Amino acid sequence: MKTQAKFDYDYLVQTDKIHSSLYSEPGVFSDEMDRIFHRGWVYVGHVGEVPNSGDFRLKKIGLQPVIMVRDQSGKVNLLLNRCRHRGSTVCQSERGNTRAFRCSYHGWTYRLNGDLSGVPYPEGYGDSLRKDEMGLTHVPRVGIYRGFVFGSMSPAGITLEEHLGRAARELDLFSGLADAEDIEVTSGVHKYDFKANWKMAVENSMDGYHPNIVHASFVDALVEKIKNKPSPEHQVAFNPSSFAADGAGITRDLGGGHVMLDYGFRMYDPLNRDPMPTVRAITAAGEEKLAELSRQCGAERAADMIREGGTHTFIFPNLILIGLQMRVVQPVSPTYTEVCLYPTLLKWLTPEVNAIRLRSHEAFFGSASFGGPDDSEIFERVQAGIVADLDPWMIISRGMKREHIDDEGLTISDMTDELTQRAIWKQWKKMMTQEAGAGTTRKRASRTAVERA
Amino acid sequence: MAVDRLQVEQFIYHEARLMDENRYDEWLALWDDDALYWVPSNRDDIDPKREVSLIYDDRVRLGTRILRLKSGLAHAQEPKSRMRRLVSNFEIENGADGEVTANSNFLLAELRRGRQDIFAGRTIHRLRQVDGGFKMAYKKVLLVNNDEYIDNLTFLI
Repeated sequence: MKTQAKFDYDYLVQTDKIHSSLYSEPGVFSDEMDRIFHRGWVYVGHVGEVPNSGDFRLKKIGLQPVIMVRDQSGKVNLLLNRCRHRGSTVCQSERGNTRAFRCSYHGWTYRLNGDLSGVPYPEGYGDSLRKDEMGLTHVPRVGIYRGFVFGSMSPAGITLEEHLGRAARELDLFSGLADAEDIEVTSGVHKYDFKANWKMAVENSMDGYHPNIVHASFVDALVEKIKNKPSPEHQVAFNPSSFAADGAGITRDLGGGHVMLDYGFRMYDPLNRDPMPTVRAITAAGEEKLAELSRQCGAERAADMIREGGTHTFIFPNLILIGLQMRVVQPVSPTYTEVCLYPTLLKWLTPEVNAIRLRSHEAFFGSASFGGPDDSEIFERVQAGIVADLDPWMIISRGMKREHIDDEGLTISDMTDELTQRAIWKQWKKMMTQEAGAGTTRKRASRTAVERA
Repeated sequence: MAVDRLQVEQFIYHEARLMDENRYDEWLALWDDDALYWVPSNRDDIDPKREVSLIYDDRVRLGTRILRLKSGLAHAQEPKSRMRRLVSNFEIENGADGEVTANSNFLLAELRRGRQDIFAGRTIHRLRQVDGGFKMAYKKVLLVNNDEYIDNLTFLI
């Protein structure tokens, strides 16, 4: 059965153009929540954010509040932040460590694995309260790949491995091949918001056409720095032509809506006085990882990947890996979006290299940085511009005629081409028009549980 | 040598006005060569070597910040923010080597593209006496909202 669509997504999303109402129409946003965020796999967080038993972080899947918590057995659980009694959130802090979640309304108390452990004055329920059925609701499916925790609100559907496909390789490289437990995600969060649709942040993060234009002030600053500091270290720091039409970088469609910009060179620079520190590990295991990365990518590229992060990839629908940061795009309303950036450290790196990872990140990212705020400004300008809709179409045709297949069988194109946007929209349309079976099942199942209780 | 409290306050009021009026070069000239301009993220007391900051500029990066703001291409400051801030609640301590540490609170009204935001926080300045005046060696800004979503902090704070 086809979803009963109020919107004709086949018309609104075409191969070479998209209709601007998709960025502002509340009904479309509602469909996105139902069919993408409350059904398919969504990135939630990384196990490195909750390294110890009792550690928790508040997250969202779509619009739904979720607690990511590590229990006493070491397992990471995704629990809906809603008391099974009268619906209050049971966890109020964005992050912390706790022994249990106690609802502040009537005192229902839940263990870290979600089990209901206690209810005040239980005799009032007689035999009707089945405590074993009234734990916090688990996100129906949880999948963890290399420490990246994904959740799906649907009890059925493709596996996480099927969802990630070839993009899993980019998750490997993101962490410089580090094991999940070697990635530190406790280095704080950059949080920013903008008054525009969430998809602008997604598409722009994979847009190789805009950097030399939107970020001209950053490029100029780097060029100025290179001019003033003509050491070999700084000469290689940045090649402003890399994003030019004839540059070396490419766009790549990884399948499933996952895409990447593969620039294969150093993008960021800490813009500090000191030159880059030499990449070294403090453990034998770390040295082995560095050696393996060098074997796979070459020594110079490996060092850059460690100092600044190893990939530039979008995992549909909400995770962006840029440099050494995990970026989570959180839709809030059709025209309001929140974004969290989690810069990562690696446990086996020297303190100097870990510090330079943070400085590299801060140069371009965060509310006070030299890059990200300019992007947000553009998103808001687009949101303002598309109110004028006599011609409602937005063009994503760039490079359609020069796409080609690489040795791996993946579609690639020039760095400035809109291959990435087309691939994202293709997956978006697929999910927005596919059968609703799984979602219906979920709703029926949860109703039954309530009736039984 | 004890530092004149009034002189310290006057310096910080002057710095505030330069920031309010986007007088970038004059503001940059207030800094000493070993400058550190620091705005922590998420909490007031973090380890900057292990935790991310909103701003952690040494003198070179400060120069880049100003270069960018003056380029006309920093879209997040085109148009520029209109600002006025109040600085108050001074607590001033004399340090070693003629340095002085000044703690103060600020309340900033920032207007851009029809929207006015309020920022507040506590600032810790470390000032150095140079040629009868001061240079800023260190400035740490503890934003009240450093753990909230901030859309744009590209003006001088």
